[in-house]
Amino acid sequence: MAFLLRRVVFYLAAFIAAATINFFLPRLMPGDPVQIMFAGAGSNLSMENLNALKLTFGFIDAPIGQQYLAYLQSVFTGDLGRSVKYFPLPVTELLARALVWTVGLVGSATIVSFILGTLLGVMAAWRRGTLFDSVVSLLSIFSSSVPAVVISLTMLFVFGYSLGWFPNGYAADPMLDPAFGWSYISSVIHHGALPMFTMVIVLTGGFAVTMRNNMINLLGDDYIVMGRAKGLSENHVMLWYAARNALLPTVSALAISIGTILGGSLVTEVVFNYPGLGNMLYQAILARDYPVIQGQLLIMTAAMLVSNFVVDLSYVLLDPRLKKA
Amino acid sequence: MQLFSQLLQNKKATVGVTILAIIILVAIFAPFLSEYSPTQRVGRPHQAPSLEHWLGTTRLGHDVFTRLIYGARVSLAVGFGAGLMITLIGTVLGIIAGYKGGVIDEIINFFTNLVLVIPNLPLLLVIAAFVGQASPPVIAVILGLTSWAWGVRVTRSETLSIRQRDYVKSAEMLGEPSWRIMAFEIFPNLISIVGINFIGSVIFAVITEATLEFLGLGDPNTVSWGIMLYNAQNASALSVGAWWDLLSPCFALALLGLSLALINFAIDEVANPRLRTGGMLGRWTRMVRAGEGKL
Repeated sequence: MAFLLRRVVFYLAAFIAAATINFFLPRLMPGDPVQIMFAGAGSNLSMENLNALKLTFGFIDAPIGQQYLAYLQSVFTGDLGRSVKYFPLPVTELLARALVWTVGLVGSATIVSFILGTLLGVMAAWRRGTLFDSVVSLLSIFSSSVPAVVISLTMLFVFGYSLGWFPNGYAADPMLDPAFGWSYISSVIHHGALPMFTMVIVLTGGFAVTMRNNMINLLGDDYIVMGRAKGLSENHVMLWYAARNALLPTVSALAISIGTILGGSLVTEVVFNYPGLGNMLYQAILARDYPVIQGQLLIMTAAMLVSNFVVDLSYVLLDPRLKKA
Repeated sequence: MQLFSQLLQNKKATVGVTILAIIILVAIFAPFLSEYSPTQRVGRPHQAPSLEHWLGTTRLGHDVFTRLIYGARVSLAVGFGAGLMITLIGTVLGIIAGYKGGVIDEIINFFTNLVLVIPNLPLLLVIAAFVGQASPPVIAVILGLTSWAWGVRVTRSETLSIRQRDYVKSAEMLGEPSWRIMAFEIFPNLISIVGINFIGSVIFAVITEATLEFLGLGDPNTVSWGIMLYNAQNASALSVGAWWDLLSPCFALALLGLSLALINFAIDEVANPRLRTGGMLGRWTRMVRAGEGKL
């Protein structure tokens, strides 16, 4: 219990740190950021809109300490200000709309690639030195070093434009009514398949190599020999003696890489013109819509912290030693 | 030194170093390899690859091959520049935290863990957006200042175990100053970890620079692979059929990334013999016999 409590306090500190960065960055810019944004947005915002924008960044007539507290308070009450590009719309609403698609894409891609990568890693370690192991190693070298943007663009070129197997953009056919009919659902799956498959390629190698190395490091341990000596089948020893123990560090690697995964999804979404957070963010960057860009940092950080907490919980379940600590 | 001689015998390292050397040479001698200027209009828009324009032209009529070889300079400079910064900060903080322990360790460790749970790319996007049209050196500095946390974690945990060794204890007994112990007793034993961290950081910096520029946060007047991707995407290169405009920088980025990753995997294999593939037991026996067992 004390372990989990410590983690929660730490995550709270991390979230405040991200909000603090958001608070101070506009103040480090030369000149008045709101004026610059006002001019840069090229929009026809009125004076009272300008004031609403100032509030977004916590610019109130008060000493900086009070500004900071007011900003933190609005962030913690879920108020991330208003978008410049789509002016009266709150950032939270814009992000929430986009988040649905991102969660679907990232969630399904992460689950598939984690299972696939872990299995590949287990088998590569068990048969190390064979052709299979070399292929898995090459795959992981490939996906750890080739930028997600490159993989995404290549996949779009090959399967979208050249072969024409998959559509080149959007989350569903824009002609269809977004009701829960089969034609709409199948359209969503058809549109999501290529970005998802791309993300699986990006992610699987990393999981495979982590699992492979964890496995190899414990293959010489006594309990593996013990399992074999008991006359258990190779597959049983592989899965229930070796893989089970190698899984723990892999799970924590998953938590740390959630940030990278979300980052990769930003790029994939932009390439595939998929209406998730990434694409929303891309539009915001092009329009210099700072409140949205800042809002995504907080949302992403929150997502990262929640997934880390889930991993902490699973650690307590997987590793009995932590229950007492 | 043993590390280097073993690296020379590693197949992955040989391939990686060869590709990397070719890319570096091409970047250095770019003006001799192309008659065109990377920033001038030298042909009609979106010409397909030909003898005149090996990789075709962009929508603005720039020669793609010329931009590609000049762009290699930016990717290499940002990659190695930022990689050096990331590794330097990570290694220094990691060794200090691991060796000094106590309050210093707790402070460094706290900030390291804090930086690790704030997602990197979203953070970089916010900083770069406020900087506005970040040039490659600015991107390198931003990357250097925000991405050291992983290096600290790895270096620190390794330092913690080295601190207990006899030679460190004896140096302490002799009354050597702690900076000397950290620099001459501990650091040399971390060389493979620092190497892996460095190459990994270079890969990360190359990828991230290209990504930030692709997303429209770079300086559009730069000649770099990321800006090439950005321009090609904006010119809808794929939908008008000008695949060379987009796929050339893609291929270059993949090649540079792969060469660096091969080197990194090779260092890992040499430093951690258990990971080695191919007749592992046999190689172990040979190594032990040849007296190379201790690394």
